[in-house]
Amino acid sequence: MTGVLRIEGLSVSYGGALAVDNVALAVPAGRIVALLGANGAGKSSLLQAVVGLVPSTVRQLSLGDTDLAGLSPERRADAGLSYVPEGRRVFPGLTVRENIEVGMDAGAAERGARVAGMLALFPDLADKASERAWRLSGGQQQMLAIARALVRRPRALLLDEPSLGLAPRVAQDVFHRLRAIADDGVAVLLAEQNAARALAIADEAVVLAHGSILLSGAAARLSPDDPVLTGLLAG
Amino acid sequence: MVTAQLLVNALALGAAYALVALGFVLVLNAAGAVNFAQGDMVMLGGVAAVTLSGLLTLAGVRLPGVVLLPLVVVVSGLVGLLVAALGFWPLRDRPPAAMFVATIALAAVFEQSAMAFFGPEPRTAPALWEGAALMIGGVAFGRQPLALILVAGLCVAGVYLLLERTQTGRRFRAVAQDRDMARALGIRAARLVVGAFALGGGLAGLAGALLGHQFFVHAGQGPAYMVKAYIAAAIGGWGSVPGALLGALLIALFETLVSAALSAVWAQALLYLTLLIILLWRPQGLFGEAIGQRA
Ligand SMILES: Nc1ncnc2c1ncn2[C@@H]1O[C@H](COP(=O)(O)OP(=O)(O)OP(=O)(O)O)[C@@H](O)[C@H]1O
Ligand SMILES: [Mg+2]
Repeated sequence: MTGVLRIEGLSVSYGGALAVDNVALAVPAGRIVALLGANGAGKSSLLQAVVGLVPSTVRQLSLGDTDLAGLSPERRADAGLSYVPEGRRVFPGLTVRENIEVGMDAGAAERGARVAGMLALFPDLADKASERAWRLSGGQQQMLAIARALVRRPRALLLDEPSLGLAPRVAQDVFHRLRAIADDGVAVLLAEQNAARALAIADEAVVLAHGSILLSGAAARLSPDDPVLTGLLAG
Repeated sequence: MVTAQLLVNALALGAAYALVALGFVLVLNAAGAVNFAQGDMVMLGGVAAVTLSGLLTLAGVRLPGVVLLPLVVVVSGLVGLLVAALGFWPLRDRPPAAMFVATIALAAVFEQSAMAFFGPEPRTAPALWEGAALMIGGVAFGRQPLALILVAGLCVAGVYLLLERTQTGRRFRAVAQDRDMARALGIRAARLVVGAFALGGGLAGLAGALLGHQFFVHAGQGPAYMVKAYIAAAIGGWGSVPGALLGALLIALFETLVSAALSAVWAQALLYLTLLIILLWRPQGLFGEAIGQRA
């Protein structure tokens, strides 16, 4: 199995209940892998385990040549992992600019330049650069969460349901940007419930049900109307 | 009657309480839990000031308060690190109540140790700025209150600049708002929390040394300072920095002005009544964010 981000034999349990069961997947550079699954399938648990925010057991977890298993979330981030969590989780009391700046390890001039780059990429945020993040709309907060992750120049970007709660057109915009981010060489792992939208931009898809991968393959070969897929996504 | 002197005294007391409350709120935000040893860290600062100046006098050195204070701040910062090492670090993945209980235990240890080594009788810390009262516009002002306002004001301003204008401050606020998310962005959250304890300790110790000249230092005074920090934070809005500063000032106004106008007992009673009214009227405190605004 090749890929910049490699996961093998990953399991997560909460007090004995398995939420992710022996999952393996790989995300190559420049590709989007869609992680599909119904409510409670284990998508968020899988992403959080890779980021290091929930304990897990894993046979192999690596990013490029770096072994991530056993590293703290901070060190995984340093290795090139960036995370856009479920519910966006922007820092509400920090301004838009501060939210983007806060995760960067660089001198002030370099930080300023990279923030400016992000604001150019997300013009909606540029107008609100000095606003506290809690004042933003849901779509703007989602853009901010992505900008905050992207400004760290990750090798792999993990996103948890970025379209949740967004108007269709805004969600469309978010997904277009994800495609562009991947085309720049970033490995993107995208957890989504909206299969149609995710499959439209993804290269590959894996379907998670009750913590296990039950189906995987090229996104182009999976139809969102496939009865097997819709059956799995219905839970 | 409210005189200019009384107002300056109230402001000086409020400035010292503001240091205590500021340290309390910084740790509260960073660790997400109450540091119950904050009051006894104030007491230890006073003890450190008295002891250090005593030792130096024995050695034949007489340091002015301005030189002594940085020493006290360093010692108190180390006490803060000790509280972090014993009361926070081993419990960092436990619920906040664990740290609350651990720091209650530490507060008791500090108090008993001070009682044992320093003795129960009150002592006076050296003045920051000695000499006869200054005449300004025909009114006499004590030097110590003026110096206290200046030093505390500079420290509060310094902490404000640190929080609002530096990358470290930004990171500190991010950790306070969402520790896990901050860690996922590579921010060394635990280090920042430990730093907050050191800073909180330094501020508490500074306040103890500053207050110890006018109000004595004694081993049993920690809990009273603790209650003040707690009330200041509750009035101002749990976790709000400007709120805690305002709360501290309000407490000092009651203790000085209301106390002078009525009596110390009435001042206490009215302070708590005001606290109740504020919390009934605005449960989130004066500067508290409405529920839901905070993530
Ligand atoms: N912190 C937790 N403690 C205990 N059980 C949890 C916890 N988080 C998730 N679970 C359980 O683990 C399973 C997987 O949950 P998870 O949130 O990973 O699913 P999901 O695919 O992200 O769902 P959704 O689409 O609703 O976000 C569920 O059964 C859930 O109840
Ligand atoms: Mg989820």
